[in-house]
Amino acid sequence: MKKTKTKAFSNLIISIILLIFEVWAYFQASGFRKVKGAYVQASTFPQIMDIGMMIFTVILLIQSCIKVFGGMKPDDPMAEDAPSLNPLTNRGLAAALLVIGLCILYVALFDKLGYVLVSAIVSIIIMWVIGKRNPLTVVLVSVLVPLVMWVIFYKMLTVNIPMGVLQPLRDLLDKI
Amino acid sequence: MDWGLLFQSYGAVFSNLQVIFMTFLGALGGVLLGAIPGMTATMGVALLIPFSYGMDLIPSIGLLLGIYCGGMYGGSISAILIHAPGTPSAAATLIDGYPMAQSGQAGKALSVAMFSSFCGGVIGALIMTFLSPLVAKVAMKFTSAEMLMLAFFGLSVIVSISGKSIAKGLISAFFGLLLCTVGLDPTYSVKRYIFGMKPLLSGFSFIPTLIGLFAIAEVIAGVERIINGEESQQKSNEKITNVLPDLKTIGKIWPNILSGGIIGTFIGAIPGAGGDIAVFVSYGFNKSFSKHPELWGTGIPNGVAATESANNGCSGGAMIPLLSLGVPGDAVTAVLLGAFIMKGIQPGPMMYVDELPTVYRVFASLMLANLAMLVVGCLGVRGFAKIVSVEKKMLYPIILVVSLLGAFSINKSIFDVGVCVLFGVVGWLMNKYEFPLSPILLALILGPMCEQNFVRFVDLNSGNFWEILHHPIAIGFFVVSVGTIIFSIFNQQKINRLEAQNKAAAGQ
Repeated sequence: MKKTKTKAFSNLIISIILLIFEVWAYFQASGFRKVKGAYVQASTFPQIMDIGMMIFTVILLIQSCIKVFGGMKPDDPMAEDAPSLNPLTNRGLAAALLVIGLCILYVALFDKLGYVLVSAIVSIIIMWVIGKRNPLTVVLVSVLVPLVMWVIFYKMLTVNIPMGVLQPLRDLLDKI
Repeated sequence: MDWGLLFQSYGAVFSNLQVIFMTFLGALGGVLLGAIPGMTATMGVALLIPFSYGMDLIPSIGLLLGIYCGGMYGGSISAILIHAPGTPSAAATLIDGYPMAQSGQAGKALSVAMFSSFCGGVIGALIMTFLSPLVAKVAMKFTSAEMLMLAFFGLSVIVSISGKSIAKGLISAFFGLLLCTVGLDPTYSVKRYIFGMKPLLSGFSFIPTLIGLFAIAEVIAGVERIINGEESQQKSNEKITNVLPDLKTIGKIWPNILSGGIIGTFIGAIPGAGGDIAVFVSYGFNKSFSKHPELWGTGIPNGVAATESANNGCSGGAMIPLLSLGVPGDAVTAVLLGAFIMKGIQPGPMMYVDELPTVYRVFASLMLANLAMLVVGCLGVRGFAKIVSVEKKMLYPIILVVSLLGAFSINKSIFDVGVCVLFGVVGWLMNKYEFPLSPILLALILGPMCEQNFVRFVDLNSGNFWEILHHPIAIGFFVVSVGTIIFSIFNQQKINRLEAQNKAAAGQ
């Protein structure tokens, strides 16, 4: 059992990262504008919550240290392998990162390309990546679902959704 | 209780075609979604909130309650047929439901589950109707001290929803409470954690955050599982013949339904303690008082009835603290709270003064939702079995584009879509490293209430927090909170033990 690959070790690393975040958040809060005469400042509540988070992070850190540096039986749940973080060896992780990348692209192109087109593109790529290879089904589902959703939102719920390059479609629907 | 107004409200709901249609639509969606393993009623309600945006309050609440009740029953379908609970609260249904299906009684198991879910839901709705006004009457005496301790009480149940690691659950909760402080300070309008981003002035929008944490995170994780070959496509070819249980079976299972419904309602009424706890408690209770406890777990309808009635009883129970105190009873009611606020209604004791007809219509909607679930269940019991065969390779991209549209439609803001994606990644990482997500949800709901009342109370008492000791109701809430924490730790151990026993039994 390699200790650096266990859940206990990953908890230890996460605790350290969280502690760094919490210290940063605490000092950020201490820079909030002070209000004269106020019994409770704007920074008080965030700092209390931050301290609370720190306390339990330290507890998690101690628990992890005991497991990593003390004795840990092979059947201990914390001795199980932690999720891999290497997208080169873990194809699932690589696919998950690709989905995240597509989501970011989705946000960036949402206004320009419009909901229907960007959704169809993202949907086709994801279906293709995860192994849905029937072109007709992939294209039909990827185009029809966003299109139907857009019609429901636009016509039934009167929510105006960006259509980007497919703006003429809206004009057409307005005429019907 | 104003009986005239109560009956009038029931009449208004049961004669309104839009409410009936929306409730049935919600129940259908809920059952379908609940039947798919991993898709919870919480996610269904979160997904449908944007659809309800343009509707009046009662049709939209009917839609959401329909999906809530339908989702509770839907979870049992895959639990019975393929040994995979569709929702966490269907986890105990498979103990007896799956052996029944294995012995050729899948139809009977499904019909018992449906009938018990309906009865449990009706018991919960009736108890809610009569109990929540009493709770609200006491709540009228609340000042900022009581409200602060009430928020603390709500937060105390985080322990019970933290899962195996309480430390991780509490880290999640404090992280959620910290997220609530992003934006303008509610008292003095001081900018906090804005970093020059104007849309952050009003903080993170609740619904996009919620959709991100639950739906987007599930899509990312689902894609990862598919590629790693960890997600198997379920298929079911069971032929189902019975739609409703016969009178002989009902005669055998009614005590289990009654006790399960009552247990479910009361556990559901404890904020944070949901159906997943209630089903195990009900199963254990009914087994203990059974004449033949040795038969439990071998495939008897009593086991299915005890768990499914508790499961749906929770829906009524969870509405009690939501309506009377403004504190959500579980994750779904936390989302429902968001829907009420979106419609400009703040649940809580004042709702019984300012919005009494609305309260009664919500009671009626819950009753209608249970009826809708029964009808949908009867009509579709044969077809539902096929839901488990839905191809996930198509389902995940669909969920993604529907979710992102939902996030956009709340404020028509692309920034919210970004927030949704951000929290999707956060939720995925948290799930990966076994940090529970429900505490964040509870913290996001209760955080603002906690801070506002804390500041108000301390300011009113010239900085002396210990004045709170002169508020007996607040002290009472504090004591109950501590009791809840102790109970939750004890209960979690009990659930872990039961799960370990079930695993051991399944392994034999």
